[in-house]
Amino acid sequence: MSAVEGGPAGGGISATNVAILGIVGGLVGIYLASILNDITATTYFSFFGGIGAILAGVWGADAVRRVCSYGLGTGVPSIGMVALGMGIVAAIFGLALCYVINIPVVLGPIIAFIVAAIIGLIMGTMANKILNMNIPIMERCMVEIAGAGCLVMIALCVTISGTLVFESHVATDITILTSVVQTGFIALIFIGGAMIILHPFNACLGPDESQDRTLYVGVEKGGIIMALSGVASLMVLGVIPAALTIVIGLLIWIVYFTKFINLTKRDAHKVIGTGLLPTEEELQ
Amino acid sequence: MTDPIIIDMGIVALTGALATIGGAAEDLESDVGSQSNPNSQVQLAAQMDFPHRIFNKAISGEPPAYGLWCASSAVVAAVLLESMSVFFALAIGSLVGAILLGMFSVTAHMGRTASQSRFKQPLYMDMVIGHVPAIMAHGYVAVFCIISFSYIMNTIMGHPFPLPLLALFWGVTAGAIGSSTGDVHYGAEREFQNQPFGCGLNASFSGNIVRKGEVGLRNGMDNVWACAKFGGPVTGLALGLTVFLDNWRSTIFTGDNAEWFAIIAGLIIVVVLILLNRIVELNGRKAYGPYKDEEEGGATA
Repeated sequence: MSAVEGGPAGGGISATNVAILGIVGGLVGIYLASILNDITATTYFSFFGGIGAILAGVWGADAVRRVCSYGLGTGVPSIGMVALGMGIVAAIFGLALCYVINIPVVLGPIIAFIVAAIIGLIMGTMANKILNMNIPIMERCMVEIAGAGCLVMIALCVTISGTLVFESHVATDITILTSVVQTGFIALIFIGGAMIILHPFNACLGPDESQDRTLYVGVEKGGIIMALSGVASLMVLGVIPAALTIVIGLLIWIVYFTKFINLTKRDAHKVIGTGLLPTEEELQ
Repeated sequence: MTDPIIIDMGIVALTGALATIGGAAEDLESDVGSQSNPNSQVQLAAQMDFPHRIFNKAISGEPPAYGLWCASSAVVAAVLLESMSVFFALAIGSLVGAILLGMFSVTAHMGRTASQSRFKQPLYMDMVIGHVPAIMAHGYVAVFCIISFSYIMNTIMGHPFPLPLLALFWGVTAGAIGSSTGDVHYGAEREFQNQPFGCGLNASFSGNIVRKGEVGLRNGMDNVWACAKFGGPVTGLALGLTVFLDNWRSTIFTGDNAEWFAIIAGLIIVVVLILLNRIVELNGRKAYGPYKDEEEGGATA
């Protein structure tokens, strides 16, 4: 399907600013959740992970928007799933490496992010040079989607488990391995994180797509996935931390869904209750 | 005493039956919202000056979308299973999946319609209110069936994967089968039913889909009504057979080297299916042949 006109996507916020928001916001969310939980010896601050996931997801959605505006229609999910596959491999690699070579867990997200960026660069180069896709910003966008995907996965892992520790020698400790991987919640993190990044542009695809409306869908979907991660954390962290994540996620969803509806009314040709199709004259 | 293999086969049959119903509902849900295969022509219609009242949604491809509904439902069910009976946990989990599907459908339809404003495609709110409950209802049946047979595989058949992961895999499988099997009935036939059957789609007809119904303007409800006659059931059959045959071959063999017999049986099933597909394809080519021009008795361009 080539429903979009090929060419660079415009928008109010520059690609670099969205990237800074995603990287800084994503990492700050992950670290705030993990460090505040450690300092206070509670798990109440896990919801910061969800907020980090939303910010990183919005960055990923903007990268998808930029690369897919070059005429990729059905390619939107394909390109995203490749990048997010790289993202989750890098996320697990970075977090597990800290346990294997015994270094502080706070280095995990940064190692994972760098690994995701390197794999993204290799995939982007292969797509352009070997598959001859010849999209000018392909390499950069693949790095961005893989990096954003990696941060979203780690942030959602922290939301559910409340910690950055991948595995522990103490059997009773809550770790990402026991609370996210073995329970199967990683399935939700993978596909939910992917949808925060893939759905916004796919939902708003068309020649009159606008950046603010697309990114609001990203924030709004991020809120829903955050709330679902809160439901999963009920089994791991208990009622109060889970309730905090669920309530904050739903509030974000309500606020940004309302904003999305308002922008839809702004951008649509006309929003009507019901009616017949436009006549030939009206179409001229 | 009943032979254990009879009970095992009963469970295999149950998973197959659930998958058949789930597959059919999955395809019909995507027909209400014109997801996947038919979507490109619905999207194109407004851009070719054919405004319409057909629900236009695309949620990042049907397989990932169904992966999300099923994985989320399974996560909620897995949490509820700690304190609730199986039936209620699966039912409430599926409800959450259906609500999620509704939320994504609303943004997908409204977002895409608003992005076509230069072609003067209006956003009809009665379509959103009318179609989304039907989408959620079909989605609920599909998700409930998929997470139910995933639960049976996990707890009764002893599959080593946890419930959310199994639900994700089977959700992606159901979405892929619906997208490639049943949706073609809508995309290739229902959208272009004013063309002679088997004529192929001439490029000049792109976007010129049927927009008027038996009564009034055609919408997603009219499409699901038509597709329930063939596309839906055939998707159910495909998913049901996939689940049934896969579980059958891994259950029927017992004793030494059972796993090897299961692998060989799987290979035989794949070879037989490839041969059957080839026969169907050859018969189709023989019956309809290559595209004919108008003067040779083919479709008008």
